[in-house]
Amino acid sequence: MYPAPIEAYFAPRSIDEALQCLAEAGDDATFIAGGMSLMQAMKARLVEPRVLIDLNEVEELRGLARGPRSLTVRPMTRYRELAATSALHGALQALGDAAATVGDRQVRNAGTIGGSLCWNYVASCMPSACLCLDATLVLASLAGGTRSVPIKTFLVGPLETARRDDELLIEIVFPASIRRGVGSAYRKYGGAVDGLPIVGIAAQVEVDEAGLCTHARFSVGGILPTARAFDGVGEILRGRPGTPAAFAEAAAAAADAIETQGDHLASAGYRRVLIRTLGRDVLAEAHARASNGAGR
Amino acid sequence: MSTAGETGWIGRSLARREDARLLAGRGEYLADLRVPDCLHLCFVRSAHAHARIGAVRLEAALAMPGVAGAITGAELSREVQGQRIPVLIPAFPARYRQYWPLAVDEVYWHGEPLAAVLAEDKYVAEDAAAAVEVDYEPLPAVTDAEAALCAGSPRVYDDWDDNEIFATGYTGGFEAEGIARNDAEVDALFAGADVVLSQRFRTQRCGVCPIETRGALALWSDADGLTLHLTTQRPHIERLALADLLELSTSEVRVIAPRDQGGGFGVKAPFYREHVVVCHLARKLRRPVRWIETREEHLMTVSQERDQIHDLEIAADSEGRILALRNRGIGDVGDGRQGVYWGFVMPSLGSVMLPNAYAIRHADIKLRCAVTNKTCLSPSRSFGALPTRFALERGLDMLARRLGLETAELKRRNLITDFPYTTVTGVHHDSGDYVKAWDTLLERVDLPGFRALQAEARTQGHYLGIGFACGAEFSGIPSDVLVPLENQPGYGVVTMRIDPRGKVAIHEGDAPQGQSHETTMAQVAADAFGIHPDDVSVRHGDTGTTPLSSGTIGARGASYTVAAIAEAAAALKAKMARYMIHDHGLEDADPADFAFQGGAVVYEKDGNVRRDFGALADRIVMGSINLPPGESPGLEHTAYFEAPKPMICFTAQAAKVEVDVETGQFVILDYATCEDVGTVINPIVVEGQVQGGVVQGMSNAMFEEFLYDENGQQMTADFETYRLASAADVPTVTVSHAPTPCPDHPMGVRAVGEGRPGPVPGALANAICDALAPFGVEITALPLKPETILALIEAGRAGEGA
Amino acid sequence: MKKEITVTVNGEAITHTVPLRLLLVDFIRDECGLTGTHVGCTYEGRCGACTVQVDGRALKSCMKLAVQADGKEVTTVEGLAREDRLHNLQKAFSRYHALQCGYCTGGILMNAVDFLNENINPSEDEVRRALVGNLCRCTGYSHIVEAILAASAMRHGLKPVPPPAETEPAP
Ligand SMILES: Cc1cc2nc3c(=O)[nH]c(=O)nc-3n(C[C@H](O)[C@H](O)[C@H](O)COP(=O)(O)OP(=O)(O)OC[C@H]3O[C@@H](n4cnc5c(N)ncnc54)[C@H](O)[C@@H]3O)c2cc1C
Ligand code: FES
Ligand code: FES
Repeated sequence: MYPAPIEAYFAPRSIDEALQCLAEAGDDATFIAGGMSLMQAMKARLVEPRVLIDLNEVEELRGLARGPRSLTVRPMTRYRELAATSALHGALQALGDAAATVGDRQVRNAGTIGGSLCWNYVASCMPSACLCLDATLVLASLAGGTRSVPIKTFLVGPLETARRDDELLIEIVFPASIRRGVGSAYRKYGGAVDGLPIVGIAAQVEVDEAGLCTHARFSVGGILPTARAFDGVGEILRGRPGTPAAFAEAAAAAADAIETQGDHLASAGYRRVLIRTLGRDVLAEAHARASNGAGR
Repeated sequence: MSTAGETGWIGRSLARREDARLLAGRGEYLADLRVPDCLHLCFVRSAHAHARIGAVRLEAALAMPGVAGAITGAELSREVQGQRIPVLIPAFPARYRQYWPLAVDEVYWHGEPLAAVLAEDKYVAEDAAAAVEVDYEPLPAVTDAEAALCAGSPRVYDDWDDNEIFATGYTGGFEAEGIARNDAEVDALFAGADVVLSQRFRTQRCGVCPIETRGALALWSDADGLTLHLTTQRPHIERLALADLLELSTSEVRVIAPRDQGGGFGVKAPFYREHVVVCHLARKLRRPVRWIETREEHLMTVSQERDQIHDLEIAADSEGRILALRNRGIGDVGDGRQGVYWGFVMPSLGSVMLPNAYAIRHADIKLRCAVTNKTCLSPSRSFGALPTRFALERGLDMLARRLGLETAELKRRNLITDFPYTTVTGVHHDSGDYVKAWDTLLERVDLPGFRALQAEARTQGHYLGIGFACGAEFSGIPSDVLVPLENQPGYGVVTMRIDPRGKVAIHEGDAPQGQSHETTMAQVAADAFGIHPDDVSVRHGDTGTTPLSSGTIGARGASYTVAAIAEAAAALKAKMARYMIHDHGLEDADPADFAFQGGAVVYEKDGNVRRDFGALADRIVMGSINLPPGESPGLEHTAYFEAPKPMICFTAQAAKVEVDVETGQFVILDYATCEDVGTVINPIVVEGQVQGGVVQGMSNAMFEEFLYDENGQQMTADFETYRLASAADVPTVTVSHAPTPCPDHPMGVRAVGEGRPGPVPGALANAICDALAPFGVEITALPLKPETILALIEAGRAGEGA
Repeated sequence: MKKEITVTVNGEAITHTVPLRLLLVDFIRDECGLTGTHVGCTYEGRCGACTVQVDGRALKSCMKLAVQADGKEVTTVEGLAREDRLHNLQKAFSRYHALQCGYCTGGILMNAVDFLNENINPSEDEVRRALVGNLCRCTGYSHIVEAILAASAMRHGLKPVPPPAETEPAP
């Protein structure tokens, strides 16, 4: 119900200051972003941080920036902002879709993409969306400067990432060619509307002028140990027109290939059903968006 | 006697009196009360489902700065009475086990309170509770009620020879001979029936947890004794029990239910053990003590109901007329130690309610209730009856399908039409026109149109379905039933007082939690006196100022309490009229010759003889000279209303759904009800009650399930794992009416609060099965999980292929 | 373990020294005495009864620390009415009987006001999805949705349908 006693609280205003705080506070210090996961854990006393470093006042950790071949999303960007921005239209729309259906309005007003990735809860939306969109994460530390980690390496297991304790996530970089003909989408099934994903699926599809798929990426969240991508979808769709049969075949292949767990929310078998059906629909939607882009 | 619509306040959707403060954030809920010098109490609860308790070490907790005290179960058991006291025991032959507010020696469920700590600050109280160390010696946990009833099962209580807390039959009377004769008759009807349906139905453990949890704030004064502010639906019963348990004179105990409570739905009706601890420690330490339940405690401790299994058999003729029912129910009541209901009263009433609104002349209905290592069932709206509603409504649909009949028609054919009617289980149906309500609903949902649409949709691979269910529900129950059932009176009572300015005050011993009493009861009194509702105030919940009543339970407000208001108003009007006769020298006049309207009292035979209502009140209250012969001064009356038999209200409900046959997921396209609540006092309030009850039923049916693992560990103690329906999960519920006035109520009102969730799971499941008729899907268990529905579709597909 | 903070609550700057672990909801309720903001969860942050606005955005105040509100503007349900004139949404809630026990109501109002600022002409579906973070156990949501749609319509000068409850009962 109530957090354990906290000894110190800092609200740094810059990345440097945040890293400085962390270095000084040592082991028991924790960053707090939107707090939508961390506060749950603190109130349940699953974690009892001695020192809290609040990232909400660090202006340079917020917002989006477009580069020539990439889009950088800074970690303190909130779901509400991701859901509303037009910067994601087209190739990165899956991220907007995912952000728009996280939890509820109040959670979307507070929660951040960076917090979600660093927490890496099994039933979460950002990890699978970012995996599909092939993000690269930039981590900074006082000792080691910055390093880039591909999302695939970053996501390790339930509540586990490749981030070292002394590191701050400062950027999430998405490859974003300005070419048309790329579309992506995300959908989830969580039992209730906007519920935590029992299965969440992101797909990105690229089509050529003739409407044939040239490339596709596909990832699944809600499964143990962590969100996973399935490259077979790209192989199945390459060179084929985007037909319902093709999407169904690709999603079925993913459902067969990806190992799923059973729990009291859903059996492993039902999770495969969800991958098959949601997967097919997400591919179709990504394809439709890609085709719209290509036609424009 | 006041009749509906006499002066126009009945039947109007007045905006509520309660709203001004609630909308401004100025409600007066329990947690909002501030008293100086208050200690916060936090319970230490068992980490095991079943264990012997060894040492309970409080030292570390007591050593923390700001901690003011702590107590273990063993210590407390020497200072208060055990909870098996007469006022908390109903008149059923059952096993009533002694227990203390905090566990002593042994814990019987995960979450049972075993110690309590007090601190100046609620954060510190939680720190201290976490610092209490408890040694447990785990024992085997009994978690399955059916297995618990088998010979050789491990026992919850080692001094009982089995786990059966209560078992009885509801048909054939109480003598063995009569029961045997009845059962033989039923057997014969089954043997001769054209068709027999036999099916097991299961309803999961779930309930109607309110958004405000429980809480208690106790103040002790050496001069006045104990004042307890408490979330409760029944302050007067609470007071009596507390006095006994704490060995206080009742003159020293005052219980006050806060003016505002954040929902109750039955959950705040039982006598809970936590209150005793709060009161005792306030007395012991001579300081105010406050406990506000956490959501986790709430979901582990209360709000758990339903949890029944029914092996139901229906015998019918080829036209779908029900000849007889046979039912064997099992209730999983948890530990069975909780005042007034003891876990089994809910399933027991569920069995009584099984025949519902159907004319079923013969039945053999029996129930067994088992204790298990779970928390005791506590009541939830649709008290005990949701599981039996689900079983019968589903069973009748299965029967209709087997006979190739339209289910709406089969049900209609079986509705009770001859009133008054007493069911095989003894439920009295006073009056009504169930067929009219049913037909109104059918019209509203356009059944033929829907069937055409459904056929068309199927050709395109869309699966639409419609499902029906109904509920004949108690509109409050009279002393005849309530005294044996809950050991408390069933009358409705108010004290009504008119002041010299003509303002009417109503004091009721009930304790509403959102039912709009301040508005609807003011409407009733204003209507009776011909004054404005703003001139009527309604006060409730304080045992120090209100007459003893059994509380806000079982839809008693609009039925019993409103009837008492009507009677009190009638008595006071007669008195005022007698003063008019006396003052105006109208020897030939009768009190009935006076109309109360427009703020005046008018002699109907001579309109010039009139008095302002306030002036007449002033005359009677303040001008206490020259009294009519034999008359007392003052305008105060306490009226007790008792109905001869339970009154009944009726709801018919229909759901339309679309099911995705690839995933088993479904959406509710439409949900409609048709109500007979008799005279409607405030239509928008009634609509709100129905919509709220229906969505509770949807939420129960679709999402809610308390899960225990095989060791009895609770796994659903937060709103993430125990999921309630949100606005996005449900449709708008549309409500229509087919009222018939209740003959036993002075205004013809029937009530509405209790039963509305009951028919919903049946209606929804029936709609889903109707949609999936091509696959032969028959749902027999709740909740309605898409995964389970998909498995049934696939089984149907496989069956087709074979 | 304590810190002095200044929070502007409903327009009034309040300076208090608070424990670092104090939840914003307890600051509002216990320190400021504004009890219209309620608590319905243990740790999960699901029910929304504690919703307030921080710098104009609806947030669950049980999921924030009081120290995080230092220097910010907090609006609670008590701050919604202006000089005792109810906000349109409050009026609509009363007219449409969108509250029964009222425990969820403050949080719903604070979320819905933010929502209507963001979406000036929402559909019923959008209103329902905007309410996912606010559980109500009494009303079944139908009247709440109607009230929010009506408040939105009133803002556009449209007549709300269906007819609401009488507000100024005439004798
Ligand atoms: C009611 C409710 C419903 C929800 N529903 C969903 C849902 O449907 N889908 C979903 O995906 N999630 C859901 N969530 C979780 C939500 O998305 C969280 O916001 C998210 O998991 C964490 O993000 P945050 O910004 O709140 O991070 P916080 O909780 O503040 O932090 C999470 C962790 O990340 C660390 N961290 C944060 N930022 C950084 C950084 N820049 N560098 C290093 N470490 C960092 C923190 O130290 C902490 O350990 C829900 C939460 C709630 C309360
Ligand atoms: S108390 Fe904050 S969301 Fe429930
Ligand atoms: S009105 Fe009671 S919880 Fe919403």
